[in-house]
Amino acid sequence: MAEPVTVSDNKHKSQVNSGASYSGNGRSSAAAAERSSGGSGSSSGAGAAGGGLSGGLTQPAGWQSLLSFTILFLAWLAGFSSRLFAVIRFESIIHEFDPWFNYRSTHYLSSNGFYEFLNWFDERAWYPLGRIVGGTVYPGLMVTAGLIHYVLNLLHITVHIRDVCVFLAPVFSGLTSISTFLLTRELWNQGAGLLAACFIAIVPGYISRSVAGSFDNEGIAIFALQFTFYLWVKSVKSGSVFWAIGCCLSYFYMVSAWGGYVFIINLIPLHVFVLLLMQRFSRRVYIAYSTFFIIGLVLSMQVPFVGFQPIRTSEHMAAAGVFVLLQVYAFLQYLKDRLTRQEFQTLFFLGVSLAAGVVFLSVIYLTYTGYIAPWSGRFYSLWDTAYAKIHIPIIASVSEHQPTTWVSFFFDLHILVCTFPAGLWFCIKNINDERVFVALYAISAVYFAGVMVRLMLTLTPVVCMLSAVAFSCVFEHYLGDDMKRQSPPAEDSSDEDDRKNAGNLYDKAGKVRKHVSEQEKAEEGLGPNVKSIVTMLMLMLLMMFAVHCTWVTSNAYSSPSVVLASYNHDGSRNILDDFREAYYWLRQNTEEHARVMSWWDYGYQIAGMANRTTLVDNNTWNNSHIALVGKAMSSNETAAYDIMRSLDVDYVLIIFGGVIGYSGDDINKFLWMVRIAEGEHPRDIRESDYFTPQGEFRVDKAGSPTLLNCLMYKMSYYRFGEMQLDFRTPPGFDRTRNAEIGNKDIKLKHLEEAFTSEHWLVRIYKVKKQENRDRVEHKLRSSNANKQKYTSKKTSKRKRGYIRNKLSLKKGKKLQKKFL
Amino acid sequence: MASVLVKSSSNLPVLLVFSLVLLCLPPGGGQKKKENLLSEKVEQMMEWSSRRSVIRMNGDKFRRFVKAPPRNYSVIVMFTALQPQRQCSVCRQANEEYQVLANSWRYSSAFSNKLFFTVVDYDEGADVFQQLNMNSAPTFMHFPAKGKPKRADTFDLQRIGFASEQLAKWIADRTDVQIRVFRPPNYSGTIALALLVSLVGGLLYLRRNNLEFIYNKTGWAMAALCVVFAMTSGQMWNHIRGPPYAHKNPQNGQVSYIHGSSQAQFVAESHIILLLNAAITMGMVLLNEAATSKGDVGKRRIICLVGLGLVVFFFSFLLSIFRSKYHGYPYSFLIK
Repeated sequence: MAEPVTVSDNKHKSQVNSGASYSGNGRSSAAAAERSSGGSGSSSGAGAAGGGLSGGLTQPAGWQSLLSFTILFLAWLAGFSSRLFAVIRFESIIHEFDPWFNYRSTHYLSSNGFYEFLNWFDERAWYPLGRIVGGTVYPGLMVTAGLIHYVLNLLHITVHIRDVCVFLAPVFSGLTSISTFLLTRELWNQGAGLLAACFIAIVPGYISRSVAGSFDNEGIAIFALQFTFYLWVKSVKSGSVFWAIGCCLSYFYMVSAWGGYVFIINLIPLHVFVLLLMQRFSRRVYIAYSTFFIIGLVLSMQVPFVGFQPIRTSEHMAAAGVFVLLQVYAFLQYLKDRLTRQEFQTLFFLGVSLAAGVVFLSVIYLTYTGYIAPWSGRFYSLWDTAYAKIHIPIIASVSEHQPTTWVSFFFDLHILVCTFPAGLWFCIKNINDERVFVALYAISAVYFAGVMVRLMLTLTPVVCMLSAVAFSCVFEHYLGDDMKRQSPPAEDSSDEDDRKNAGNLYDKAGKVRKHVSEQEKAEEGLGPNVKSIVTMLMLMLLMMFAVHCTWVTSNAYSSPSVVLASYNHDGSRNILDDFREAYYWLRQNTEEHARVMSWWDYGYQIAGMANRTTLVDNNTWNNSHIALVGKAMSSNETAAYDIMRSLDVDYVLIIFGGVIGYSGDDINKFLWMVRIAEGEHPRDIRESDYFTPQGEFRVDKAGSPTLLNCLMYKMSYYRFGEMQLDFRTPPGFDRTRNAEIGNKDIKLKHLEEAFTSEHWLVRIYKVKKQENRDRVEHKLRSSNANKQKYTSKKTSKRKRGYIRNKLSLKKGKKLQKKFL
Repeated sequence: MASVLVKSSSNLPVLLVFSLVLLCLPPGGGQKKKENLLSEKVEQMMEWSSRRSVIRMNGDKFRRFVKAPPRNYSVIVMFTALQPQRQCSVCRQANEEYQVLANSWRYSSAFSNKLFFTVVDYDEGADVFQQLNMNSAPTFMHFPAKGKPKRADTFDLQRIGFASEQLAKWIADRTDVQIRVFRPPNYSGTIALALLVSLVGGLLYLRRNNLEFIYNKTGWAMAALCVVFAMTSGQMWNHIRGPPYAHKNPQNGQVSYIHGSSQAQFVAESHIILLLNAAITMGMVLLNEAATSKGDVGKRRIICLVGLGLVVFFFSFLLSIFRSKYHGYPYSFLIK
């Protein structure tokens, strides 16, 4: 941990030296301006202990390592256990939607082997199109879980693959905190690293994607992200091919795990580019980036889903451009030795601007001619923030793709969101190569998190790191014991000394010590009282952070959403298990190849839990297919029946929350179905038809007739009008929308109710087969000719005698004179 | 036919009515007259629209060219109030969109005499507003070539907004005329950028002998923090969603700066949060400064306490705002 790292010659000595106190590499530094602190390595609460221990121990470095290991282990343990709320409250179950698909494919992988998995064509999804799963997923997650399962079984620890999947994300959170520790240690010092590890272990912004049961790409991807960054920083610092190759391998793992790898492949070139601009080019950067780019490119193309994208899409072009630029720059640097100063300046200026221009123009040209695909919609919407709203309703419809309010920032990061700018400030004030990286990371991540809620995930690690830097600075200055500092451990030597003469580490120790004690005198002024007040309050804030994290995790992020819970007044809990009830019904009672139509949200769950064929699912790759389902849901029954017959639908599954007041049901999502359908079929579906003339979306009597007769409405409220939930409300009262429904007398002609779960949450309808004989809509035509023949020519008038002005007698009425 | 016309413009002298009626009398003249009138009207409209893509109308013109048959052309009318004293900012925005749309139609290859864009300002044709029972501006209406406008011929401004793409969609729906909206490229952004770049470039050139300030870390750090504060206080949300600055309760006139729900925010609120975050960050920096700077002990102690106060007080304030928005949040610090 405290091994001396010789930093090779640095031509920006002046900058580095001014920040030498911060660039202590695992050792606390005692450089010119700053005072040293022997316990800086253990400032995360363990500093107090460290102070007491270091005096009487011969090998403080050993104690430091032990403390670090203990803290990291505890962070792992805390992170793991705070993610277990859902397992303890409910059971070991896969959560939400996407994890069900991941689980299903992991299951397939573990039972059929890797090659079968790569070639898997899933005929159960996107009926009738099917889906090539092997080529359309990031396989890292499944392979990781499958591998762990395989190894465990090899050791005769027999666990079900489901348990591996459920606990994968919490286990990886521990690895994330370790790699965050390593990265922060490279950037600042060990104390900040330990704080960062503790922060990221419990911060809600990361827990939201990695609770037990949330078996999703992000769970392992954040580990890969942090580890790649650590290796990158390491390779930039050391300039060794070894670390650069390690970085590539880690990058390969990231590419195989999550689409967010694009962030890495843009951030690292940006880092190199900014280093060039700051004239911080060095051979180390050259070696690191050249190795990373080439090997990383080749490795990333090995993932089937990524394929040739790295050389054919705009998202990856920045990396290639910077690579070319770097080569040109390096070449010019080489020429520098061979030319006079004047010649070189002209050549340099011309060369660099020419190279930049050529790269830029060729990218534009290639994009224009179609060799390079332009930005895909999801990425484009990050820059042009109004783009998705207008052009791609399916992206805009996902709640994760909404912009972020300050409340979400505070909710997910609490104190860290207010303090991490301070860390950024310290980093920029004491800049060096790797701190340029973390500053760029912070600024780009905070922008992306502002645009999209889900990208809060990439912001969280850097916030933890920078906050740790800020807190570590404060603790370093306020936590230490005044007495202890008079005898700093011999290991403490400044980086300055290190650089000047890396060999004799101990020669300068005496000088340093003197320097420190000078500093001490000035410092004692702050006094122990002020120091302890500051320390107390800071620790209190951190304690509040821990409490907040636990509360948020427990209340907001630990619900499986497959199983719902409701609480009574006395605090007892009701479990609503309607989803699984219904899916199990489908599994048991329908034919094996039955096709189930539902809105895309439930596709993965139907496939995973009910094992039935679905039409659309959460992999929203085919917008027109989804629009067709949306059109069926929003048309009237007859039109919908035609669509359903053309798609061979056997069952329709909908979610209806009106009985228990569940707000995430299909009627609330209905407008999105209409919008998506309208996007593809503007002639048949019009959003305005589903509103009242006042522009409201209402399900009661005032609602628009198109809405009251569309398939979704009919299926949701079929026989709901007969149901009175309690005595204060009329029958057919929808609790979610607080309205009495407008169409209580719903008759279904082509569908019949097949199953409704206990709380009506899931309703399944069977689509009737077409009748053998078409029933005729209109009355049979009665032929006139026949009739006339039968009644002959005698009309009623002719049959009987007919008297004009005949008296008509009315019974019970007295004839009066005047009538006669 | 002519009599209808006369009737509608009631302020014409009676004599004229008679002469017009007399003119109409000759047999067969009615049909011919109608055609003449029609072609005259179309010609007039074409002439106007060749001069300006949106035809301004007053009450009389409106009745003659838009309301009265015979017509074989559709007319889109924007009823608006553009006079400055009306203070209708929405009208001005809508007018811009409308101009964009009308120009796209005017200069498109499909331009014909089937569709005209007109505008009626309240201050020029208040009687039209009264006649149509209209009490809000702007309003877009379509007058079809045949028959009277139906309900759907009034553009639903409240729900769809007045973007010209939406207007074009609505027109395509009502008249079967497809207009591809062509926005004149907005050069203002480019020009501003070019100005900025040239300004910065010029400044750099002028001070080329003294480029120290580029290496000024404080400036860069400030810039970075500005970005961070803007994002963490939700300015991007404001940019995309466009919330009001603050909410004024119409009943008692109380202005609330903090939105009651955790799903939304006001602009004022995000500014407050920005300041709070900045204050806390500054507190942290001051704490560090107090410990590291060399100087008078008393002064440093004060800096230290100020920094601590900033952190603790503003954080508890922030927490209390959060608590008021996120219902059911149990924790608070110093301030309830």
